[in-house]
Amino acid sequence: MKNRKPATCKSKETILEKPVTRRSFLKKSATGAAAAFGASCFGPFVRTSKAAKLEIRWLGWEHYNVKKLTAAFEKQYNCKVSAGFFDGNSECYNKLRAGGVKDFDMFMADGFWPRLYAKQGLSQPTDYTKLSNLKYVFPDFLPPNYMLLQEEKGSNMVAAPNCWGGYGFTVNMDKIAPEDSESVYLLFNEKYKGHLSTSARFEENIALAGILVCYRMGTMNKPRPDGKPFNPYVLTDAELAECKKLLIKQKGLLVTRWNDEDTLERLLRAQVVWASPEWSGIYRRIRFDQLDGKTKLNMKHVLKPKEGGLGWVDTWGITSGVKDSEKLELCHKWINFRLKPENMVIIAKEIGWAPTVDVRKMLPKRYVETLFLNQTSAIKGLYQFDAPSSPEKWERIWSEVEAA
Amino acid sequence: MVAFWKIRRSQGFRAALLTLPPALFIIFFMILPLITIIVYSFWRTENYTMIPDWNLNNYATVLGQKTYLTFLWRSFIMAVCVTAISLVYSYPVAYFIAKRGGRYRLILVLLTAAPFFTGIILRVTAMQQILGPIGLINMAMMHLGLEPIKIFMYTPFATGIGLVYLWIPFMVLAIYLSLLNFNFDLLEVANVNGAKPWRAFLEITWPLNWMGTAIGIALVFIPTFAAAITPRFLGGVNGALFGNILEHEFGATGTWALGSAMGVVMFLICLLVIVAVWKTINLKRSGYTGSLIGEQE
Repeated sequence: MKNRKPATCKSKETILEKPVTRRSFLKKSATGAAAAFGASCFGPFVRTSKAAKLEIRWLGWEHYNVKKLTAAFEKQYNCKVSAGFFDGNSECYNKLRAGGVKDFDMFMADGFWPRLYAKQGLSQPTDYTKLSNLKYVFPDFLPPNYMLLQEEKGSNMVAAPNCWGGYGFTVNMDKIAPEDSESVYLLFNEKYKGHLSTSARFEENIALAGILVCYRMGTMNKPRPDGKPFNPYVLTDAELAECKKLLIKQKGLLVTRWNDEDTLERLLRAQVVWASPEWSGIYRRIRFDQLDGKTKLNMKHVLKPKEGGLGWVDTWGITSGVKDSEKLELCHKWINFRLKPENMVIIAKEIGWAPTVDVRKMLPKRYVETLFLNQTSAIKGLYQFDAPSSPEKWERIWSEVEAA
Repeated sequence: MVAFWKIRRSQGFRAALLTLPPALFIIFFMILPLITIIVYSFWRTENYTMIPDWNLNNYATVLGQKTYLTFLWRSFIMAVCVTAISLVYSYPVAYFIAKRGGRYRLILVLLTAAPFFTGIILRVTAMQQILGPIGLINMAMMHLGLEPIKIFMYTPFATGIGLVYLWIPFMVLAIYLSLLNFNFDLLEVANVNGAKPWRAFLEITWPLNWMGTAIGIALVFIPTFAAAITPRFLGGVNGALFGNILEHEFGATGTWALGSAMGVVMFLICLLVIVAVWKTINLKRSGYTGSLIGEQE
């Protein structure tokens, strides 16, 4: 009696034994390709419950990408949050202009930039009625005290506040005379040759020189080219020419123009550099070490020099690419979530930026002091970060300074 | 139909099929962007916006203004110096590995590429830790009660050291690969016939390995000429090179049109260097070096 294998088994074997011909291979490949094509065409319309998860993508400064905050938000709203990063406002602006409004749902910007985005149609209004946590924001960072969050000629809000700060000077008080420390001239003072530094940011270097030049020329309070109050990012050709001379002269006084905060921190701690503009993060770290008895360095941070200083309020905005109402809602929820005082405390402690939300009671005294949370009204006297009035002219000036 | 299958099976068709993907890659990711850059270079930028207003102003600026010529000149000099130093350093290293490396040759060559196991930023930062005002060298000097060496502290010289360190592995590798095919017995023959070692090197080793050396020169010259990261971190206030300004045009200032013209100029200069180097190669003498000579004889 012959052994009989079960029918199913036999048929399987037959299939396996069947040789693969060119025709059968092409047939199967064509079927596979057709299936893949069909899936790609109809896939977006046939979502599984997992695929239906909403996703928001934001473009901002990398340090704001706090993983635990993102994870908490994703869990709370059953969504996905991803982030892209930039180094400065102009880079973000260029990205959004080059089609980035389709790639990103939200952006971060500071100073005058949110208004520019709104004017250029890159962003859409932020609905403040959906942001319940705005009640915790210091009034200094909301209209009518701070008008840059509102359209220039309209009532729509262009973005919501996040953190704020200055671009003041961190000064080693054991090396710099107190009377010199409160002036922008400190950065151009030959007395401190070989012990000064500035960042490599061309806009802020020219703007700071512009403040000093206009202060000396007496043009700050005179009618400005744009008919608006003085803004160091809007300078006349004569003022720019003076800035160039000043910046070329300054080169001989500098140790370097720093590209990263780590470099500056090392130079400040080693007392190679005695004064430099920075965002006060380095000052805070050194001050904490001083309070803990780890260093004897006597540092001061000058938020607003006597001629005027630079400052910023960074914000969250929604790009014009967001059309879906559900996603728009989620974007507002994200902003509101980030404004929650508990979350702002995390930003203050872990990232080291000063929240625009009043979290003074939730923070240790040393944070309140070094984040200048008792001096929020200083923002009124600081010239806000902006785009140069003519990037082409400013580029030329900076190149000439670099080549000199 | 039969003819079709014949064509399909032909050598030419197969070769075309093989070369098509890389060719498409080059067209889409190299030639098309290059064409875009060339087109942009004839436009102008106004407040971060590209305006298709055809003109030659960007080229007049790059090639006519002292500012940009200064950057071009600085980069050219830097590239020449770094290439020359790399060559002088790399030749003996590659020679030693090829001749005396024995079974460790591969490991030794890979060791020269060890810095590449990390990213460029990390390598440049490491250089900063050695050369900077509070770097290893200057801290040691100060510890000994000596003055710090200022030339190491954020200067074009520091950039040069950093670039040599970055690109040397390319030069070593190119020369080593050339020497790998070199018939060292030829040097023995020269010696037997009374040639001194330096003469044997100049008349045999150098010309017969010129192709590898030339490739090494191109591989070091071009990235040095375009360098932006190293001078940014090590160069200090007087160390900006053409690559830095070019990077600036596309990043912070958003003056893309001028940046594009700078890119085209940089590309043409690199092309000229490659052509100049290529012209010096005598394929009959170099290439497969000693063994080729032997076959000809």
